[in-house]
Amino acid sequence: MSTCGCPGSQSMTFKREPSDTVAEPAAAAKSQLAQWPIQMHLINPLAPYFQGADVVLTADCVAYALGNYHSAYLKGKSIAIACPKLDSEQEEYVEKVKSWIDDAKINTLTVMIMQVPCCRGLLALAKEAASQATRKVPIKYVIVGLQGDILEEAWV
Amino acid sequence: MLRKKPETMEEVVGLYIKDVIEAYPAVGRCLEGAGIGCVTCSVGTCLIRDVVSIHNLTVAQEQDLFKAIAAIIFPGQPVTLPKIERQAVAAGVQKLSPPLQDMVNEHTNIKRVLAQIPALIGRIQKGFTAETRQTLAEVIDFIRQYADKFHHAKEEDLLFKYFDAESDILRVMVKEHEIGRHHVRSAAIALEQGDAAALIEHLTGYGALLKEHIRKEDEILYPWMNRELTDSQVGKLFARCHAVDQEFSARVDDYLGLVEKLEKN
Repeated sequence: MSTCGCPGSQSMTFKREPSDTVAEPAAAAKSQLAQWPIQMHLINPLAPYFQGADVVLTADCVAYALGNYHSAYLKGKSIAIACPKLDSEQEEYVEKVKSWIDDAKINTLTVMIMQVPCCRGLLALAKEAASQATRKVPIKYVIVGLQGDILEEAWV
Repeated sequence: MLRKKPETMEEVVGLYIKDVIEAYPAVGRCLEGAGIGCVTCSVGTCLIRDVVSIHNLTVAQEQDLFKAIAAIIFPGQPVTLPKIERQAVAAGVQKLSPPLQDMVNEHTNIKRVLAQIPALIGRIQKGFTAETRQTLAEVIDFIRQYADKFHHAKEEDLLFKYFDAESDILRVMVKEHEIGRHHVRSAAIALEQGDAAALIEHLTGYGALLKEHIRKEDEILYPWMNRELTDSQVGKLFARCHAVDQEFSARVDDYLGLVEKLEKN
């Protein structure tokens, strides 16, 4: 009997070709993380590394799905991570994003989410915060497929 | 003008597009078939390589175009087709970034005024009344302030600064701004002197020039720039354009009011 479950929790296995699993050279895999902490509840939106920064707000699963997350998306940016499905007290997230825009005067905000429907909540949260902020900044979203492909990348 | 016939396609893509079209008019038709409208360009000093790269053709479209050009310049001869280097573009990146989208929106307002030029010319031909003179003075002021000081200044002083000012493509764009300014200066003098023929000539020239100029920017230049700008550059450009918007904000509403008034008349 088939059941209609949550696409975000549905079990699946991806078949990888041997060529997909060849180890990357060490230089290509170098971390681009330039700050700590990164979890949205733990970050201070006014930390020096957010001042005037290009910030990438990344859903928790993205960095595991996307093979080149560090080199292609994190490099040169400040980061916070969150899960719009499981994290509690997300109204604090709205306040922190608003503070990035108005107080830390960030340069841009990129929201990276997975293709599963529940992840859209993170983009909605960022848009809500931006609409409440006094300043305006360009916001971009990137939707990552379950197998690590970029499905969509666009400015809001 | 071509000094000598090129010997390879690699040499062809390094030539000025206008020279090649002049020597081989069929090449112009090939380019138009690929959506590259350089045949009507007022300057034409871009290299074929740069023009093809800016149009974001797929590799297959680019190779088909080069095959067609090779068949015209080197009929029946075996040729090696060049490949244009291009940046990898992520799937789905098509929407312009906010500062570029704002400039496209400004183009829409400018085009609304350009669309009124034939009606204005009709009014001039019927007689140079005080009311017509007043409307023309307001239109010239719109072009000088909104189109030039507000919009073109954003392009020249902010957007174009992120790119090589000596590149052929930007030189063409800036040259067209200068030709536009010449038309507007001449139209203002003609209005002051009551020279209806000169006024019609320069309004017509400005309208035709800017219509084509905006088409090139909306369809080719801005999408290319959108692909080239980093996120960080987009943020900085947005902030700088926003500062110009703030400076002009009181007057922008007046100019948009003029656009609506022209459309109602």
